[in-house]
Amino acid sequence: MKSQSKQHKKTAFHSRRVSILPAVFILLSLLLMALPLESPVASVKALLSYIFIPQIRAAHAAVEYAEGVSGTVKELLNTHQENILLQEQLGRLQLENAQAREVFEENVRLASALDLRVPQIWRGVWAKTAYRDPTQWNSVVIDKGLLDGVHERAAVIALKDAQPVLAGLVLETDDHTAKVLLLRDEDFSAAVYAVPSGEEGLLTGAGAAQMRMQYLPFLSDIQEGEKVYTSSSSSIFPAGILVGEVAEVEDESGFRTSLTARVEPAADASSIRELFVLTPQAAEEK
Amino acid sequence: MGNILKLFLLFIAATVLHWGFMSVFGGAGVSLNVMLVFACAVCACLPPQYGYPAAFVCGLFLDFFGVKLFGNNALVFTLCACMMYGMEKRLDFDAPVPQIISIFVLGLFAAVFNVILLRMFAGFSAWTGFWPLFSGVAFNAALAPFVFWAVRRVFKRER
Repeated sequence: MKSQSKQHKKTAFHSRRVSILPAVFILLSLLLMALPLESPVASVKALLSYIFIPQIRAAHAAVEYAEGVSGTVKELLNTHQENILLQEQLGRLQLENAQAREVFEENVRLASALDLRVPQIWRGVWAKTAYRDPTQWNSVVIDKGLLDGVHERAAVIALKDAQPVLAGLVLETDDHTAKVLLLRDEDFSAAVYAVPSGEEGLLTGAGAAQMRMQYLPFLSDIQEGEKVYTSSSSSIFPAGILVGEVAEVEDESGFRTSLTARVEPAADASSIRELFVLTPQAAEEK
Repeated sequence: MGNILKLFLLFIAATVLHWGFMSVFGGAGVSLNVMLVFACAVCACLPPQYGYPAAFVCGLFLDFFGVKLFGNNALVFTLCACMMYGMEKRLDFDAPVPQIISIFVLGLFAAVFNVILLRMFAGFSAWTGFWPLFSGVAFNAALAPFVFWAVRRVFKRER
């Protein structure tokens, strides 16, 4: 009888303990959400990175391996044809490279003669998009991190039709991965200029909507369809990277001192696969 | 101890699966959530002392990738675990149809509640449209019987 009562008490205690579990986890989640993202949550994330990062690496390696198997079969089937095409392209690119180097060296000579800032060759690392959640289209995780030379606030470039286009900037880094904040995020901003009008403005992300190029001169003659490039006055991004195209110049009524243009980004967040991350060496030289 | 080890190994497998599917379908805008299916399957097969922590950790794993808010997925997953335990007396999770229906409903709830939480706590609109939402939820639902079967097979139905 006594042992039955003891067993009953034990069961009651156990079920009470189990019933408070969801409340504990809900409170913990609410606490994590309420805390500022900087210091306390960053510490929790750093702690979790010891558990999750090896898993993420394992997952990424497994996926890459699986992709590699099917890729190898396809490659074997297409290698010969591709090889012929690539040799043709290589010859053409070597010629173009020689011409470009000549022009670049001439540009450097002229820039030094005129006491202008000498242009630099971009240096960085190529990274692959390792993780992208469509519900969080404002950021992607790449498979290169601190150990590969990727640092926070580094410019990230993507290729679109073989042309470099601005993709975003590095927001957080771990040893082997980094988070890239994409252009459309509201926290993203960059100094840019439009071609051919030459008007400079501040480009900011606007979420799912098109980006905004703000603080354009009130009497600016900026037009739809103009290409937008990063400006040399930007402290993070090298000048001359294509950002997008002016889709619309806002025609707001009422008092205003500057114009705002809507810009359609050239880099499509959903199709970014390979990214070039500029390394600090390049930034220092800049 | 054996259950915790099995759960840990299954969690690793789920993250690999989640990562793999996201790599393949993420580009097409399909917002699938293998971790949610896994967390629900664990709740269907194991008692609450395993189910709730598993759901919370699966949520934290997804929060780890976010840049705007931390803890939202953990909260959503814990609430989904509550609903799974609430539904278990009414639904037979051994059959595929209740599995598919429950995952479909919880997937919708998780996606919509996440959007609301991000808007409330981070002032950030994560709404990407109906196609990513419904395609992802449908994919999760289709995947549910396989994940439930795998989890049940590993634990040989503990409850």
